[in-house]
Amino acid sequence: MSMAEALQPDEFAATAARAVTACAGLDLRAQAQNLAGDGLLGIVADEEAGGLALSIGFAVPVIAAAHAGLLAFPLLETMLVGRLLQSSLPRLAAAIVSGRTLATIAWQGEAVAEREGGVLVLSGSLARAPGAASVDYILVRMSGGAAALIPTDAEGVLVEDAAGLDLTVPEHTVRLETVEVQIGSVMPAGTWDLLNSDANVLRAAAILGSAEACLSLAQEHASTRRQFGHALSYNQAIRHALARQKLGLESIRHAITRSLSGDGGPVQRDAAFLAAATYGSAISEGALQIYGGMGFTWDVPVHRHLRRIRTLQAQGDASGLIATFGRRYVSEVAPFAEAGA
Amino acid sequence: MSALEAVSIHPVAGESLTGEAYRDAMHRWLHANLPASFRSDSAAFAPPTLPQSVAWEAAMYRAGLTGITWPQAYGGHGRSLREHLIANQEIGRLAMPESVNSIGKELAGPIILAVGTEEQKRRFLPAILEMRNIWCQGFSEPEAGSDLAGLRTRATQTADGWRINGQKIWTSGAYRSQRCLVLARTGPLEDRHRGLAMFAVPLDAKGVRVRTIKSIDGRESFCEVFFDEVEVAQADAIGAPDEGWAAAIRVLEIERATNRMYRAWRFENELRHLIAACKADPALSGMVADGHYAVRLGEVAVEIEVLKAHVETAVEALASGDKIGARGSLAKLYWSESHQRFAALALELLSQASLPQHPAIKVARRRFESIYLQARAETIYAGTTEIQLGIIADRILQLSRGK
Repeated sequence: MSMAEALQPDEFAATAARAVTACAGLDLRAQAQNLAGDGLLGIVADEEAGGLALSIGFAVPVIAAAHAGLLAFPLLETMLVGRLLQSSLPRLAAAIVSGRTLATIAWQGEAVAEREGGVLVLSGSLARAPGAASVDYILVRMSGGAAALIPTDAEGVLVEDAAGLDLTVPEHTVRLETVEVQIGSVMPAGTWDLLNSDANVLRAAAILGSAEACLSLAQEHASTRRQFGHALSYNQAIRHALARQKLGLESIRHAITRSLSGDGGPVQRDAAFLAAATYGSAISEGALQIYGGMGFTWDVPVHRHLRRIRTLQAQGDASGLIATFGRRYVSEVAPFAEAGA
Repeated sequence: MSALEAVSIHPVAGESLTGEAYRDAMHRWLHANLPASFRSDSAAFAPPTLPQSVAWEAAMYRAGLTGITWPQAYGGHGRSLREHLIANQEIGRLAMPESVNSIGKELAGPIILAVGTEEQKRRFLPAILEMRNIWCQGFSEPEAGSDLAGLRTRATQTADGWRINGQKIWTSGAYRSQRCLVLARTGPLEDRHRGLAMFAVPLDAKGVRVRTIKSIDGRESFCEVFFDEVEVAQADAIGAPDEGWAAAIRVLEIERATNRMYRAWRFENELRHLIAACKADPALSGMVADGHYAVRLGEVAVEIEVLKAHVETAVEALASGDKIGARGSLAKLYWSESHQRFAALALELLSQASLPQHPAIKVARRRFESIYLQARAETIYAGTTEIQLGIIADRILQLSRGK
C-alpha cells in the first residue's frame, strides 16, 4: 500500500487548509507551485502524471477546504484536467499536476469544429471559464460531448473579462475564431459527461465548504452580537433559522457521501450537486440575513461565499440539470397498467 | 386457504444470510406473499382489517422481516443494523400497510431491551414480535404535549406495586392495544424530568378507559386513555423510577434515526406510483414529461436521494459504533417536510386529470388524498418540527442562550 492509499480522505482536508492559507496573496502561478508541492493538484491523477491516483472521494475534503478558505485558484478544474489528459497528453498532464502549466475549463457553451487536413478548426463563444485570463490552456466542450484543449496563446483565442458574481476566481468568456487545434488535443465523444459527473461531486464539495464557512460565521455572530439585552441566538427565530441551515448543510454532506458510496452513480452525483446548489444558496443567503446590515457590507466575507455558490450553481447549470433530472426520472417510470385498473 | 394462511411458512429467518443474499430472500418473500389487496397502489386495494394486519405482521416476523436486530434470546433474528436497513428498503419499495404495532417494535421493545429486567425481556419481547401484544405509547397529555417534563399523570408506590391516576392523549392505536407504555410522575411537578417513571400498563386493567378521537382523515386511530386508580404490578415497572426516563431518552434518540427506516424507499414508491398514474392519463402524461412539473418531480426525486443519504449515513454511523446523538432530528425534520410538499404536489397534479377518470387516477387519488391528510401529522408526531429545530439548535449547534 502506498503512503497515499494509507491516508483517509479527511486527512487531506488539514493539508488543504494549510495550503490555502499559504496561498493567500500569491498570484495564480505561485499558488499552483504551492498546491502542487502539497500534492493537491494531482490527487486524482495517475502516478505516471505525478499524481496520487486516488479516488474522487479524496478530492472532496480538499475542494471543500479550498472553498471554505476562499482559495483564489481554479483547483477543481486543474484536478480534473490533469486527470483527463493523463492518457492522451501525459507530458502536459504532468506539467499541470506539477503546477508548471495552468489550465481551466469553460463550463458554458460549445465549440463548433471543422476538419481541415490534419487539424481541427474551432469556432464559438464559451463562458464560465474561471481564471481563464491567467492560464495556459482551456478545455472546451465540443458537439457530441467531445472536448478539446485550447492553448490560450493560440491565434484566434480571445479571453475576456466577464460580468460575474465570483470575486475570488473570476470567470471569463472565451471566443474562438477559427482556432487550429491538433487532433491529439481532442478528447472523444462522451468525455464531457464523465468529466461533468465528477465535476458535480466536486462542485457539491465546493459548496459544502463555502456553506460550512457561512454557517460558522453566522453561528459565531448570533452568539456574540447582542440586541435587546441578549445574544441574537437567544431568539427562537434565529435559533430555528440556524437549525434549518444546519439541516441543509448535513443534507449536502450526506448526499456527497452517498454519491461516493457503492450505491452511488450518475443519479446520486447529480442529486448531490442539485442538493448543494439549493441548500448552499439558502445557507449563504440565510447567513447574510443573520448578520443584518453587517452582512450587506463588503468586509464581512459571507457575500464572497454567496457569490461563489451562485457561480458554482451556474457553472453546473443547476436549472438545466434539474429539468433533465426530472425528465429522466419520469421517462423511466412505465405508465400505470394493472389488470382491472 | 386465505392469502395469509399461505404465508405461514418460515423460509429464511433461521438462515445466516447477509448482505445482498439476505436482500434477495426478503425481496422474493415479500413479492410472493404480500396480498394485492394490501397494496395501496393496486386497484384491488382494500385496507386490511386488524386481524389481517396482525396475521400479516406475524408472518413478516417469521420470514425474518421484523425483530431483525433483536437478540435471538428474546425472539429476534440477531442480525445487524445493515440487514435492518436492507429489509426496510425492500419493505419500503412496496405500497404495503403501516404496522399496527410500530410502537411495540420500535419504541417499547427497544426501551425494554435497554432498561428492562431479564424477566420483562422474555415476557414482552417475543409477544411483540409474534403480534400477541400490540403496544401504544402513553406519553402526551392534555397539558403536556411536546413538553413532557410537564406531565401530570401520577404513579404512587403501593405495598406491592404502583397506582396510576391521570390521562393520556394522542395515544395512537390504544383501542387495539394490549399494553400501554405509560410515562408517569413519581415526584412533584416541580421535578420536571426527574422523578418520571415508565410502566407497561395492561389496557384490560381495572380503571383503564380508552376513548377514540376522530382524526382529520375520518379515521379513529388515536385515543384518549384515562387511568383511574389503576393498579400496576412492580413487575410491570420499566427501569428504575429515576433512571427509566434518561435511558428512554437515549433509546428515543436512536429510534428517531432508525424507526420506520423504510420511509425514503416508500416515498420513492409513492413518487413512482404518482408518475405511473399520471402517465396513464391523457392530460397528465404530457404535463409530467416536460417543463414545470418535470422540474418539480425532479426536485422531489432529489429530496428522496438526500433522505436516503441521511438514513444510510445514520446506519453506517451506528453500525460503526458512533453515537447518533441528536442527529435523528435531522432526518425526521427533512423527511416530514419533504413528504408534505410531495403530498401537496400529488394532489395538485391529480386534480388536473382528464375526464372520464382513468382507473389509474382513481387508485392514485384514493391513495394520495389519504397520504396528503396523514402527512399533516408527520410534522407534529414524534416531536414537532419546532421541537426538532430546537433540538438541532440546542444539541447539535449548541447555540448559546446568550443571556
